[in-house]
Amino acid sequence: MINTASNNEQLPQGMTLSAFNARIERVISGEPILQNQWVIAETSGLRLNRSGHCYTELIEKDERGTTIAKVDAVIWASNYPYLYYKFKEATGQPLASDMKVLIKVTANFHRQYGLKIVINDIDPSYTMGDMARQRLEIINRLKSEGIYDLNKLLPFPDVPQRIAIISAAGAAGYGDFMNQLNSNPYGLQFYTCLFNAVMQGAQTVPTVLAALDRINSHIDLFDCVVIIRGGGATSELNSFDNYDLAANVAQFPIPVIVGIGHERDTTVLDEVAALRVKTPTAAAEHLIQCGTTALARLNELQDAVVASVRDTVAQAREQLAYYTSMIPATAHRIIDTNRIRLDNHARNIPLVANNLMAIQRTRLERAIERIGDNIARAMQREQQRLQALDDKAALLSPAGTLRRGYSLVKLGDRYISTATDLQPGDQVTLQFAADDAQATIN
Amino acid sequence: MEENTEMTYTQAVTELEQLVQKMQDPQCSIDNLSAYTKRSKELLDICRKKLTAADEQLKQILADIQQQ
Repeated sequence: MINTASNNEQLPQGMTLSAFNARIERVISGEPILQNQWVIAETSGLRLNRSGHCYTELIEKDERGTTIAKVDAVIWASNYPYLYYKFKEATGQPLASDMKVLIKVTANFHRQYGLKIVINDIDPSYTMGDMARQRLEIINRLKSEGIYDLNKLLPFPDVPQRIAIISAAGAAGYGDFMNQLNSNPYGLQFYTCLFNAVMQGAQTVPTVLAALDRINSHIDLFDCVVIIRGGGATSELNSFDNYDLAANVAQFPIPVIVGIGHERDTTVLDEVAALRVKTPTAAAEHLIQCGTTALARLNELQDAVVASVRDTVAQAREQLAYYTSMIPATAHRIIDTNRIRLDNHARNIPLVANNLMAIQRTRLERAIERIGDNIARAMQREQQRLQALDDKAALLSPAGTLRRGYSLVKLGDRYISTATDLQPGDQVTLQFAADDAQATIN
Repeated sequence: MEENTEMTYTQAVTELEQLVQKMQDPQCSIDNLSAYTKRSKELLDICRKKLTAADEQLKQILADIQQQ
């Protein structure tokens, strides 16, 4: 501690701060490894002062989001316009807070103002890559939660006429949209309702979310939502790469059209919306196009009705004429057909009769043959029977009997069959088969 | 058939398309033609009116919501 009291005591001696800072200044400014080095950092509290110098903190966070390094930095006014346009040209948005940047820096120590990092150059491609990575992370999360495609998959209304608009009331883009819609030359009616929101900066997400909530409470009144922005060419798009906003739009119950006025880049909001267009005017043109397509379809249907009536009547008339012309020809054909059938029958009668006769004749002949056969067989049977009778008769005849050793006794002309008819002394003839003998009865 | 007063554009145009399909069918009877044609005309009028005639009541409802 420096004692400022004026006395004669021996006081501890030390160098002045400026002298010490001068030493730091000499060390730092002479050190090549602290000059023109490419450094990755995150901007924080970026601001432009009245002199045109751009001040920001550069920070580094660990995986848990805790700041593990921090230093003040500046882009001198002489260099700022060049870096501003270089960055915006490449990324489509101005350098702002909370951006990951790759910058070429030189450490500068001033004995009066202390340590400050001077930003000499910036590589926008790193920031673009980082933003793309962030977008990809959000998209992957939406996909893993199964909500990424939901709004796209909603059936788009045939004619979206009742439009909920989320935009800033005074924005040029909103005016362009309304002019385009209301001046359509086809007489198409659109019913719009503006839900005011801040379309740039930190208020974008909460105000757009609030607008979506309000629309949701009147959801039956609307066919689709249009989120539009325009005119603010310098405004940044970072706000639209937001998970909450994207998740809300993705799950919104009616289709969302996004036209937030940028050509080059795509935000997550564009990715999840049912339809993305480049400008508010293009959004209006799309809605009008839906209407004109519907009108054209109605004209086609009307033509189809007329053509169908014409064709059906013509066809019926043609059919009638055909049948009318067909009646005589059909009658003749029927008569001819029947005549032919009759002729055929007439021709067939003798043939059929002959056939029948032939069949009957054959049957008769077969019957006659059978009768002859039967008679022959019967005759043969009778002959055999007669022969047997003959044989038996021959055997039993007197001659046959005589040949077997019998003899007849004849008295006079009378054959004696019993002895009582004989008297002793009767002269009888014994007749044998081959000869006779005379005998006298005793 | 739907009540005309309750029909949305989508309902009307869907019925119209189905009707036209029936009329284009070669089997379409000439007996139905008159009724089909009459209904087609009604549906075409409903659809065109939905697209081009202003619904003042709806306009007022939306204006009220916008004012809130």
